[in-house]
Amino acid sequence: MKKLHKGLLVAVSGFIAMILAAGGAWGQSATQSAPAASSDEKATLTIGVDSDVTSLNPFNLCCGPDYTYLTYVYDIAFGYGDDLTPAPAIVESWTPNGDSTEWTLKVRDDATFNDGTPVTAEDVAFSFSFIVDNKMPYYKDYLPFNPTFTVVDPTTVLWTSEAPTFAPNVPAYIPIIPKHVWEQFVVPGDSGETKAAAKEFANENPVGSGPFVLAEYQQKQFLRFELRPDYWGGQPNSVQEVVLRIYTNQEALVAALKSGEVDFIDGVKPTLFNSLQNQDNIATHQADGGCWGNIAWNFGGQSDKANPAPIIKDKTFRQAMAYSIDRQEIVEKVYQNTSTLGYSILMPGVNGAWQADIPQDLRFDYNPDQTKQMLDSINVVDSNGDGIREDPNTGANLDLDLLTINDVSGSVDTGKLIQGYFSDVGVGSHFTTGDTDLANVVWGTGEFDAYVWDWCPDPDPDFMVSVFTSSQCGGWSDGCYANPDYDKLYALQQTQLDRADRQKTIEEMQLIIAEDVPTMVLNYWGDLQAYRTDRFTGYLPSPAVETGDLIFGWNEKSLFNLTLVGNAAAPASPGLPVWVWLALIGTIAVVVIVVAIARRRPTKEDEVV
Amino acid sequence: MGARRYFFKKTMYALLTLLFVLSFNFVMFRVLPSDPIANLTRSQKLTRDDVAELRHSLGLDQPLPQQFVTYVKETFSLNLGRSILSGRSVWGEIKAALPATIALLSLGTLFATLLGIWVGIKGGWKRGSTFDTSSLFTSQVFWSMSEAWLGMVLIVVFGSILGWFPTGQWQTPGDATQIQRLADWGNHLFLPVLTLTLGYFGEYAIIMRSSLIEVKNDDFVLTARAKGVPDREVRKKHAVPNAFLPTFTLIFLSFGFVLGGAILIEVVFSWPGIGQLEFEAINNLDYPMIQGIFLLSSAAVIFFNLVADLLYSYMDPRIRES
Repeated sequence: MKKLHKGLLVAVSGFIAMILAAGGAWGQSATQSAPAASSDEKATLTIGVDSDVTSLNPFNLCCGPDYTYLTYVYDIAFGYGDDLTPAPAIVESWTPNGDSTEWTLKVRDDATFNDGTPVTAEDVAFSFSFIVDNKMPYYKDYLPFNPTFTVVDPTTVLWTSEAPTFAPNVPAYIPIIPKHVWEQFVVPGDSGETKAAAKEFANENPVGSGPFVLAEYQQKQFLRFELRPDYWGGQPNSVQEVVLRIYTNQEALVAALKSGEVDFIDGVKPTLFNSLQNQDNIATHQADGGCWGNIAWNFGGQSDKANPAPIIKDKTFRQAMAYSIDRQEIVEKVYQNTSTLGYSILMPGVNGAWQADIPQDLRFDYNPDQTKQMLDSINVVDSNGDGIREDPNTGANLDLDLLTINDVSGSVDTGKLIQGYFSDVGVGSHFTTGDTDLANVVWGTGEFDAYVWDWCPDPDPDFMVSVFTSSQCGGWSDGCYANPDYDKLYALQQTQLDRADRQKTIEEMQLIIAEDVPTMVLNYWGDLQAYRTDRFTGYLPSPAVETGDLIFGWNEKSLFNLTLVGNAAAPASPGLPVWVWLALIGTIAVVVIVVAIARRRPTKEDEVV
Repeated sequence: MGARRYFFKKTMYALLTLLFVLSFNFVMFRVLPSDPIANLTRSQKLTRDDVAELRHSLGLDQPLPQQFVTYVKETFSLNLGRSILSGRSVWGEIKAALPATIALLSLGTLFATLLGIWVGIKGGWKRGSTFDTSSLFTSQVFWSMSEAWLGMVLIVVFGSILGWFPTGQWQTPGDATQIQRLADWGNHLFLPVLTLTLGYFGEYAIIMRSSLIEVKNDDFVLTARAKGVPDREVRKKHAVPNAFLPTFTLIFLSFGFVLGGAILIEVVFSWPGIGQLEFEAINNLDYPMIQGIFLLSSAAVIFFNLVADLLYSYMDPRIRES
């Protein structure tokens, strides 16, 4: 009996091992040969992302792939061209009257929603009015001066503004929602109820006029989009389906690219990005990340608790400290050369031609000797020989409170380097480190001298330049910088409808910031991307510059341009085949039955007793 | 009478514990120095009025005592509120994530238990043997290992290098037949279940082994041997049932933790379960979600602890009598 039991166990174990080995070999070969594409089959582009969408409701979007989902399923009213200037989209053209208080918008007559309903001027007018009337966050800032929207005819909307506006030229990043779906939430006369009802709508089967339909959504796993054959914007070369697969850790994301489970990954950490260099069938790309890192000074005034070092208000001090910071070392050591040196508050990959060329004398390139000279010139000296300079306003040693944020890329490490730079020129400092929550609290009360953080501008410069106006103290301002000349220029650019005139004003504002250094731009973050070269070719950067984003750019040109390489319609799907699982389960069932039967037999003890 | 009194006493303790957890749940997350609204809206272009409105809509501008009353009322009416992050109902989100967690952790706990008990019994019965020495060493190594690290190693080796199994998630996108879907789930479950099994079997093995070594020298075991009962049956029918009691308690406690999810494993494997939901909620200070998950997992632990207590007293009447 014992021998039979043992023999059975050995045989079963051997069988299981054999199945697993066969299955493993099968699994391995399966990864190397995904199903071949036929002319009828969909070519699927699979993109690995690091977070799920917040919601399928366009009024509950926040961050991450939310906006990718938005632009796949919905059309944005106005599009972005290759240089991020406005381009025709659902709204084909927009013409102002003499003083730009009225804009005539022409809507395409060949666009439909994915339920077959035509898109008309009613939908465009409804979408804009819905946002304005109900003060929908995230979008209403694109529609200033209390505009109203009137349907003139099925393809014409009249945008009427209380004041001259260039808002249609921004362009407004507003999804066109179907009136026949969303008007059910309108409670006449009660915008609060309307807003609440609209935001509670799950929108699980979104109706939009965008190029894709959301075919499948598994929360925290993937979103699968199928191309609409009737999309007004034409058909892609190869991509018929896009899948966003969600990975909650970077190592798994990179492993998925290497194994061929995904075709493209975005937002890779620098260390992992470097590990992808020179890998077979993998290419890497460093796009502009859309954000810039900075060290910002606090001028005080946010609250009673705000008490920054008085010397910070001295421009010469700020300029001197700028000379003490080695941007190049930060880029090399903190970001491993995956970001680029930055000087202006507007960045090339996002703001394009709006970015001013900051002259050499306002770049404050690393020169600690210059720092020391300038500090000496304003009497910030070490009078007692302890190695630390004193604030001449108080007589006390300078001990700047540097806030760094541990969930902002590079903030803590940059802060450590900056502390070292300050120390080298005799300026003392200490760290406060916390997460974004703590930083928000400290930012709000003004209990810091400087912080290392970041900004992520829109393509239109209005928001980014507004941050440095005095009215933003307690709002978006880093440290309550106030410059009346700057404020005047901000108000001026808001009324300048001629691009060239506005560009001049925006440039002047950037130069003021560069000179006054309320914030010192350190670097432009990279958005590190990698993709398989054996799946698709034809990625196009957006904007159309070397550092443009290859897949999550400002329009879908890249997606439409991709061409399938080879004959695999979809990425590999590793794992044991069905028959192996069936055999395994069968084997386990047999073993359990055999053991159960064996246990029923009378034991020796029963015989003994 | 003794049994009923024991049952009543244990049940009352469990209910009191749950009430304490309910209150602690509310207070704990609100005493942390942070602001979920500020965190949520930092990178968004919202005015102060927008932020204030959002705060009001979520009831976060009310005084704490008022928030607590609302919280208790809603909890007792089984309304766990809405997620600050997604706006969806907390219970809806938890319900959607539960199957993934239950599948993963039940299988992982089951295999870890079976393997651990087998290793513990075999090692403990032949103490000092080659098997015992090597299995004890292996158990301790795996038990002390970080399961997150182990998971990543398995992903790199079996997912990335060998390409045998998926590197994460619960299913492959696209259409599939029922059988193909089951096989697909099996493939996705393989590595995370293996991680859990290897990461936790050591605990059961060590406890089972220690318990069996202790029981092996008891009088009733000697008596069985003296009767001429074969060694295998002495182990199976006399020693193991008595040595099993501590492991039994551990098993039930482990199952109690199933509903809380395994944050590290779920994040490493991008597993769409409660653990990942919890991770996201904590990162975003999504109070209602954190509270909901905390309440659910606490209730599960309390419940299984109660079941373990009651079953234990059934298996060992000495507990009841004492």
